[in-house]
Amino acid sequence: MSVDERLLIDRLIERDEQAFSEIVRLYGDKVFSLIYRMLGNRQEAEDVAQDVFITVFKTIESFRGEAKFSTWLLRIAANHAKNRIKHLARRPTEGADPDDVSQLRTLPDRPTPPVQARIEGPDAMLEAAQTERLMQESIANLPEDQRLLVVLRDVEEMSYQEIEEITGLPEGTIKSRLHRARMAIKEWLDRHTR
Amino acid sequence: MDHEQAQTNFSDYVDGSLSERVRAEVDAHLAACIQCRTELTGFRQTVGSLGRLKQTAPPSFLVDIKQQIYKRSHGRFFRPRWKLFGRIPFEWVSLGTIIAMLVYYIAIMHGSPSGIRPAP
Repeated sequence: MSVDERLLIDRLIERDEQAFSEIVRLYGDKVFSLIYRMLGNRQEAEDVAQDVFITVFKTIESFRGEAKFSTWLLRIAANHAKNRIKHLARRPTEGADPDDVSQLRTLPDRPTPPVQARIEGPDAMLEAAQTERLMQESIANLPEDQRLLVVLRDVEEMSYQEIEEITGLPEGTIKSRLHRARMAIKEWLDRHTR
Repeated sequence: MDHEQAQTNFSDYVDGSLSERVRAEVDAHLAACIQCRTELTGFRQTVGSLGRLKQTAPPSFLVDIKQQIYKRSHGRFFRPRWKLFGRIPFEWVSLGTIIAMLVYYIAIMHGSPSGIRPAP
């Protein structure tokens, strides 16, 4: 851990507001992005990401500095996201947000728009938004353990070493699950874009 | 190496983490197999597209978290600071007012002797 990071943590332990703001500024996007891609629902992601930073504020004394602060923080974020996925899976799906793709694994017969509408948008922006939605849906279709690995490795572009530290999984397991996840996403996209 | 063996190695191939020997075997298979070459192109595109899914937190993210902490700590931490037009902190407004009053006072003190003339 760098000296600057240690000083920042020390100030956060003293409940320094500026230090907290700095932490949110430094890691807010990464935490939000990770959780949003895990859950597939913006509102849920905002709530969970806020909870993550509140947990950090409350439990910062327990950070011993053995791992990097970002690793510790993302481990909390991953656990919060997993817990919310479990919570959402137990929740009745009636009246669910139509943009919420977090429930896809429990809704296999969910109707999708016609292929023509999905592929040939009137402009590039619409097409990009549609592609993003398809990608998000394909992630939401993965089992939770594979979902986390794809988000950490391919969306957030982290090294295997960082992923090992965050998940506590050995590299071999990460690689084999990641391969299955990537193949599943590719097959899903092939099915929905051809 | 057959199709299945080659495709099992796609992930490590794309990540560049295959041993030289296995990479050479995959390369040899790809050179001879158009089906696996096509599959690999699609696989690479899929992995590349995932990197474009990064998101940024909403603009009000920090303010919202601080409000939550303020509420949950029953006002112990992160008391909202009064700001003029929602931008200028109270301390700056106070300082500006004091400076303005000081300047006004000095101007009056220096200006009044020449401004007042005795009546003829």
